[in-house]
Amino acid sequence: MQSEVIIETRNLTKVYRDFWGRQKVRALKALDLQIRRGEIFGLLGPNGSGKTTTIKLILGLLFPTSGQVLVFGKEATEVTKNERIGYLPEESYLYRFLNAEETLDFYGRLFDMPAALRRQRIADLIEMVGLTKAKRRQLKEYSKGMTRRIGLAQALINDPELVILDEPTTGLDPIGTREMKDLILKFKEQGKTVLMCSHLLADVQDVCDRIGILYQGELKELGRVDSLLTVRDVTEIRAAKLSESAKEEIREVINRHNGELVSIGNPTTSLEDLFLDIIHESEAHPGRRVRGGSDHGD
Amino acid sequence: MVIENPLPPFLEWIGPAALDWVIVAALVALIAGAGAYLVVALRYGPVTGFGIARRTLVDAAIDVVGISPRRIWALGLLGVKESISRRILWVFAIFVVALAFAGWFIDRTSTEPARLYLDGVLSRTSFLVLVLMLILSAFSLPADLKSKTLHTVVTKPVRMSELVLGRALGFVLVGTGLLAVMSAISYVFVIRGVAHTHELAAENLRKPEVGLASQAAGLVGYTESTNLFPHRHRVYVDPQGTVNVEPEYGHTHPAEAVQGAKGVTYVLGNQEGMLQARVPIYGKLRFRDTAGLDTDKGINVGDEWMYRSYIQGGTRAAAIWTFEKVREADFPDGIPVEMNIGVFRTHKGNIEKGVTGGLAVRNPKTGLWVEVEIFESKEFTPKRLEIPRKIPNRRNAQMIQRKATVDNVTELSPPEVDERLARKEGDFDLFEDLVADGKLEIWLRCVDPGQYFGAGMPDLYLRADDASFTLNFFKGYLGIWLQMALVVGFGVMFSTFLSGPVAALATVGTLLGGYFREFVSQLAQHKVYGGGPFEAFYRLVTQENLITELEPGLQTEVTRMADTVAEFLLRAVASILPPFGDFSYAANVSNGFNVLADPYILVPVVRAIGYLLPVLLAGYFFLKTREVAR
Repeated sequence: MQSEVIIETRNLTKVYRDFWGRQKVRALKALDLQIRRGEIFGLLGPNGSGKTTTIKLILGLLFPTSGQVLVFGKEATEVTKNERIGYLPEESYLYRFLNAEETLDFYGRLFDMPAALRRQRIADLIEMVGLTKAKRRQLKEYSKGMTRRIGLAQALINDPELVILDEPTTGLDPIGTREMKDLILKFKEQGKTVLMCSHLLADVQDVCDRIGILYQGELKELGRVDSLLTVRDVTEIRAAKLSESAKEEIREVINRHNGELVSIGNPTTSLEDLFLDIIHESEAHPGRRVRGGSDHGD
Repeated sequence: MVIENPLPPFLEWIGPAALDWVIVAALVALIAGAGAYLVVALRYGPVTGFGIARRTLVDAAIDVVGISPRRIWALGLLGVKESISRRILWVFAIFVVALAFAGWFIDRTSTEPARLYLDGVLSRTSFLVLVLMLILSAFSLPADLKSKTLHTVVTKPVRMSELVLGRALGFVLVGTGLLAVMSAISYVFVIRGVAHTHELAAENLRKPEVGLASQAAGLVGYTESTNLFPHRHRVYVDPQGTVNVEPEYGHTHPAEAVQGAKGVTYVLGNQEGMLQARVPIYGKLRFRDTAGLDTDKGINVGDEWMYRSYIQGGTRAAAIWTFEKVREADFPDGIPVEMNIGVFRTHKGNIEKGVTGGLAVRNPKTGLWVEVEIFESKEFTPKRLEIPRKIPNRRNAQMIQRKATVDNVTELSPPEVDERLARKEGDFDLFEDLVADGKLEIWLRCVDPGQYFGAGMPDLYLRADDASFTLNFFKGYLGIWLQMALVVGFGVMFSTFLSGPVAALATVGTLLGGYFREFVSQLAQHKVYGGGPFEAFYRLVTQENLITELEPGLQTEVTRMADTVAEFLLRAVASILPPFGDFSYAANVSNGFNVLADPYILVPVVRAIGYLLPVLLAGYFFLKTREVAR
């Protein structure tokens, strides 16, 4: 049985217009997408591909020109859906005159959280993001990495079911990046749904169950990461402890030379290669879905 | 000085005002709704557009009902912290510096220095707070949109209604804090500013000259002047040693004689009466013309200031105030009356001498009319008289019928009243003979032929016991608070759909338009000399004066047609603009009048709510129907 759909876009289109209502740019074209409970979904695409527009439409920050966005089965402009969402923007758009505690207290109040629960949650989150020593400092004194951490904490203040992360590892050092990825995987363990977009393909590859690749406002690829990265027309055999002579005959007689067969299957490419292939293909053949648009692996 | 346009009592005001509000609000809502539907219908088609409009209205109802006080408070506190982070405390520094040097520029030779002090602090506070609130409220939301901090807020379960209310609340809290501190500083400044005393040396007192029989046994003299306020008080020390300091410049001083080893020394205390909160009781004013007939207005003596109309001296013309709810319990010993009437001389006469007038009281039920006092009145000089409880029967009483007609010049009295008057022995009792069911008429006449008295309704009032000046002073700040709340409301509303500078300009425009609302309204009703805006412009260009009729022709016709349209728009604007000036109590406080709860607090508070509700609702709709991100 398939799990509940958390985010659904139907023929979602967004056209930006100028003051006089004339079309400036078609940022998103007829996007159909479903993100289910418990999965980590990555939205990829070069600059201007429509990733952020999609996220803004999902959050209700923008209104669709046509089509529909449903989050938890409600219209994206419905305020009550936000009670179950945590959002980490691309840059931490926080009030720099507040300190960490005040920031979390402010956002906690916006969730109408009782004072006791708020205090407990603030203490836990500040410890989780490692800002205990800096919790009384104004955010304007924070480094970029610290700002990302407090940004993440505010996104989790309500213990959300759906976490939307826009470039979550931007500004983090390698340890911070690792911690962020571990945290995203932990969300999955906790049954949360994660929608993230990132330019850092390795990060997406490490944590995402499924990805969608956008280019010039169109969905070019959608599927499970492991499935998308599989090179289907190539068989890969990996072996170890082979002598030099045995390597010569390896294609014909691995077994006859007492080699240890480690694995046999299709090789995978890197997400980076896949991404670049799709972009190049899209540029070569505008308007065509690169791999037919099937949601592989569903 | 008087309050020129006292507000009507709340219960008289609320009915017509509520009806006006409903009509204007319904019209504005209708026009705005139709405009909004037109826009969405053009973009999405009539059916989808209708669906969007319906959903927006349903959402609005939910957003209003589902408001969370905790979220509004959180957003309000954010506004306070944001304002502090923007270093609004500098405003205090500016204010303190402004006050520190204010003393240098106050005209201490003025007869009303307290008014100058009070005007000064109230106007400075008002200006600083309103400008600051205008900037804060107009720039805050656009700054949040620009920095995208609003993205993080609206992706929480925050309703746009809460956002608008929270923002407004925050700035009102900031303004309240500022006003609280500023009012306290100002109070100390005023109290210290007007505080003074005088020296009185025993050698300055002497026996009065022959002729002052009543003071023959005492001593008279003058106090010394002070460096602070150059004036002296006349002093009379009675045989018992009681020191009476006569009022000068609207105040007096407590004084006592202290017997010491070297003789008597006189000690005067701080001023009394400079800072007061008089409680005026206003009556309704009507006039009688030279023939003794009732009329709504007196004579226009050509004064451009239409506030007063005039009565001719030496005739039967009179200005008549009818007071209600005049109770014996409130005035057991008589009724103090204060007046500030205008004098218009058609000939110089004795310029050293005031124009003679008479004040009489009349029982509106029986018609009994009794002259109380003959007095001299000088222009710009407030006068205080006392209607005594017992009025001597000087045989100058008469009966005056209320209803006078063209041929009923004789003004006959009812016979039974005549008989009673004929039987009357001894003094008239104010409440027994002249007040009927709490009603009393006070008649003002000009006695000198060829001279005129001018009066407006507030020019003569009964003076009840004074209220607390301290409380009245802080009520003055309540008026600034109301203005500040309105500025915040408009600033926040405009900032929901305009950029910061444009929102600030729009708020300034509303503020100025509100102050000149009366003029705009008169312009719209064609009551201003020179015609409407286009006709005035035409006259300006062609150098025509304001009074002459324009030459008939195409240009005149076109100008007047354009004015018809412009006047319609001006009337619409005038009916929407808040009359900011009416929210100020500065005139009451600085002129020493108590700010009565009804109507001076009730009416402006309800009126402010009447403006803020639709303004904040409009702000909500603007924010709700716009995209927060770009």
